[in-house]
Amino acid sequence: MTPSTLEALVMPKKAPKRVPGEKKTPVKYTEQDKKTLGRLTGLADGVVLAAEKNREPHVDIPARTLSNVHYSPKKKIIEMGGNTNRRQLFNLSQAKSYMQTLLVATGCKQLIDEGKTTSIRGLFYILKHTIEGTKEETFSDQAECDPIIEDVEVALEALREELHVYASNRGTMVGEITLIDSGDEIDCTRLGSGGYSIPSICEPDVIRFRKCDAKFVLHVEKDTVWRRFNEDKFWRKHKCILTHGGGQPSRGVRRLLYRLHNELKLPVFCLLDNDPWGYYIYSVIKQGSINLAYESRRMAIPDARFLGLRSKDFERCGLSKSVQIGLNDTDRKRAKQIAGYPWFEHKKEWQHEIRQLLDNGFKLEVEALISKDISYVTEEYAPQRLREKDWLD
Amino acid sequence: MDDDSALTAAADEVVDGGSNGQPSSANGSAPRRRATAQSMAASQRDISVSEFFAKNRHLLGFDNPRKALLTTVKEAVDNALDACEEAGILPEIWVHIETTGESRFKVGVQDNGPGILKKTIPMIFGKLLYGSKFHRLRMSRGQQGIGISAAGMYGLLTTGKPVKIMSKISPRKPAHYYEIQIDTKHNKPEILNGRGEGVDVPPGEKGREAIEKLGIEWIEVNHGTRVTIELEARYQRGRGSVDDYLEQTAIANPHVTIHYQDPDGNAKSYSRVAESLPPEPKEIKPHPYGIELGRLVAMLKDSEAKTLSAFLSDTFTCVSPAVARRICETAKVSTRANTKRIGRHEADALYKAIQETKIKAPATDCIVPIGEELILKGLHQVVPAEFYVAATRPPAVYRGNPFVIEVGLAYGGEPTAHKVSREALEELLSQSDSRTLRQFLATSFEGLGFEAADRILKEAGLKTRISPGKLKKQSIDKLHEAMRNVNLSSGQSMNVLRYANRVPLQFQAGACAITQTIMQTNWRAYGLSQSRGGLPSGPVTVMVHVASVWVPFTSESKEAIAAYPEIQKELRLGFQAVGRKLGMYVKRRQKVKQEGQRRAIFLRYLGEVATACSRLNGADRERLYNDLLRVATKKTADADLRFDESGQPIIDEDPEEYGENVLIVDRQNGH
Repeated sequence: MTPSTLEALVMPKKAPKRVPGEKKTPVKYTEQDKKTLGRLTGLADGVVLAAEKNREPHVDIPARTLSNVHYSPKKKIIEMGGNTNRRQLFNLSQAKSYMQTLLVATGCKQLIDEGKTTSIRGLFYILKHTIEGTKEETFSDQAECDPIIEDVEVALEALREELHVYASNRGTMVGEITLIDSGDEIDCTRLGSGGYSIPSICEPDVIRFRKCDAKFVLHVEKDTVWRRFNEDKFWRKHKCILTHGGGQPSRGVRRLLYRLHNELKLPVFCLLDNDPWGYYIYSVIKQGSINLAYESRRMAIPDARFLGLRSKDFERCGLSKSVQIGLNDTDRKRAKQIAGYPWFEHKKEWQHEIRQLLDNGFKLEVEALISKDISYVTEEYAPQRLREKDWLD
Repeated sequence: MDDDSALTAAADEVVDGGSNGQPSSANGSAPRRRATAQSMAASQRDISVSEFFAKNRHLLGFDNPRKALLTTVKEAVDNALDACEEAGILPEIWVHIETTGESRFKVGVQDNGPGILKKTIPMIFGKLLYGSKFHRLRMSRGQQGIGISAAGMYGLLTTGKPVKIMSKISPRKPAHYYEIQIDTKHNKPEILNGRGEGVDVPPGEKGREAIEKLGIEWIEVNHGTRVTIELEARYQRGRGSVDDYLEQTAIANPHVTIHYQDPDGNAKSYSRVAESLPPEPKEIKPHPYGIELGRLVAMLKDSEAKTLSAFLSDTFTCVSPAVARRICETAKVSTRANTKRIGRHEADALYKAIQETKIKAPATDCIVPIGEELILKGLHQVVPAEFYVAATRPPAVYRGNPFVIEVGLAYGGEPTAHKVSREALEELLSQSDSRTLRQFLATSFEGLGFEAADRILKEAGLKTRISPGKLKKQSIDKLHEAMRNVNLSSGQSMNVLRYANRVPLQFQAGACAITQTIMQTNWRAYGLSQSRGGLPSGPVTVMVHVASVWVPFTSESKEAIAAYPEIQKELRLGFQAVGRKLGMYVKRRQKVKQEGQRRAIFLRYLGEVATACSRLNGADRERLYNDLLRVATKKTADADLRFDESGQPIIDEDPEEYGENVLIVDRQNGH
């Protein structure tokens, strides 16, 4: 960002940028872009109209809370309800976020106008500046900016990629598949120890599947476990695709899993920690998240299976006591909360599983299996579970 | 005489030695007697009051030159006011202080009072403990009749100059002029001019010439008195100064006009804001509860009443024959006993009986309070502030003496240092004769002490010792900026103005019941900050008036009020009454401030919002901004409560909310 463009951002009255792409060759808008631009303009029209009529301007943002999502037993995914939160300019606690919401909208418009995409961090830098006449920054850090971007997404019913914004890569993939990413062919069997970094946007225009020999997808929680599986070439032995999401899987990872499941008809198995957090990751992959409920229908995989770790594994696998991690109060609270989710509420096996976790009083990480034998998880645990079809649904 | 007594003493000694048979010196071990009863008796003699006070001038408020000047002015002004009020004249006072030499000042105080008869002038000004106020129980400024003659005596002692008095009782009659000095040995006046008779000064042109020759000033009035005293003193402004005293007098006496000329020739006037005199206080008889045993015995002796019953009901207030009988019964003394024959023992019983008998409280109409309305006016005239409140308590009684507590409070107001414009500051700097910038700040601006001056200089990044005249333009800018920004009210503690019967008390604040009670009151409940057991802080001035037929001072110099529980209780109730209203105002002001802050937050983001919108849909930014601004102003309308009004000081729009006796002044158009 040069100072002059920054200036233009703050004070467009000096350099009105009404015609998009004035300076450069005109950008060709896609149909989607036109739709998004229309929505962005509509957001501003509301403000002008309210101000003219001497009313307080506001933006209605669909509520991204537990109370505003409902579980559809038929589709087996979480869907967003109709509740909205009104964000007002003339409300002391909302004034700043209101201003930030409009700023994010302008940032997106600028990206669309110029035909570029940027990361959410990049957008944060585009929008960050000192408010005129004060010492206050528009955004103090990225953590302040990210939820606002999500707000704009839901408010405009536009997905992140439609706003020309993406998140940083998170999650890795390796296995019996060949795909084309932005024109480059990638053979996921030949990626060494590092694997393929899953991009934030995994739409068909970015990633296409070329050839697939895999029979299923194994998704693990974290990098350490994924490395174990990759080093032991589990995916080659068992003809599968191996992914991890670095904890809570990002939208890119979830979208990719969804596409693998739906387009290539691959079953998805999850190997996660035996703790409330692990249960929740599984829940997100299976039903969708509360925060991104509006994306569930493009991401949730109701048929995903929970392979482990199970509460009974401490005894079943004969683990040593030292791998136990005591549950704390937050864990207990969280576990009870998860047990109460409508999509777990009526599943006896899950209720039993969670109760047993609470009875145990400790949690287990997948890494705990390594204490038994370094390759125990890849050579015995996972194959045995798959063989015996011993999983939770 | 002295010679005589010496001879007798010597003769006694001879006799003494003879009777013993042996000369005392021969004994060796027996100490030689230094003085005998006779020799001691010879040197024992009367001490005149004047001599006593000449040696103990601190008792009367002449402990140091600075205080001497104040006490002199104070006594003269108090007397003048008392005289005018007693005669039913709206007082107008002229105070003139002139430097006549190094640490020598000539103080002239004139009133438009009734004047003083020729023959009583010498006694009033030349005899200690002479006056009309001591023997009666009536609310007045002076009490003992010491003050003005003591001031004259002090002048005589330090400069050798007599007191000069000029008095006129009628426009048709000539004024009298006396030069008087006090004979300290005999506590008697000595008239120096006109062969001990004084002189008459004819009215008109001839008289004016004569007055000029006498070295005094005389303002032409139909009747009035001027007293001129030359004394050794020191003039200094600030706390406990003459200026301070006159200002405070003006607050508590809104019916008085004072013209004041200080030693530097600056003239200042406080014009009256009330055009009528306070009602005349009534004289009352003492209440039995307030009498001590010794006084009772003396009164019994002096009484002309035949029977004890008659004595009790005649001498005291609130004692009916029935009450007198009850007292006598309790004391087991006959109601018909002759007052002259009451013995010590019976008097004692009588005294105890009085304490035990239930007697109703004295009538309280003898007290004339200033009144809430006039307190507000007086405070408003002298103390610049935003919020004024006053409370007059109903009369109460301590030891049989009725009294009334009045409290006035002034809060807020921007310090003058905040309001000064850049140009005015530059002008002040160039005119100042202060040596350092620090001194300049502390002396030029009201309500700004050295501590605050230091903070301003620190903020401005200037050195304290720069000469104010040599400041560069850039530094003036910095100074001006700092003066506006530094919070001057923090650390500023409550300013307490104490009054007894409308006379300001300026010293010994710590020993005074008023100050002590303020410290014991919890002001935090009313929105002020206060450290434990200290004076509250903030831009607050409190005036407290104790009016009584007999104000209990802790000493003769009348500087502090004694802490009787009854007085403290009334004080506390008075503080609570004004405190409650102050609390309401402070809260309200905070609300306005909060609304202002809210608006500031909205305004901060409006520009961004307008810019963003115009970028999104191409709307006209300026127009949108103005539209939004209008909505924001409407939304935070409360913040404008005090900004929009203009014009003269206003009474609050909804005075009912605060109750009566509150005055609120617009912040921007104040005074």
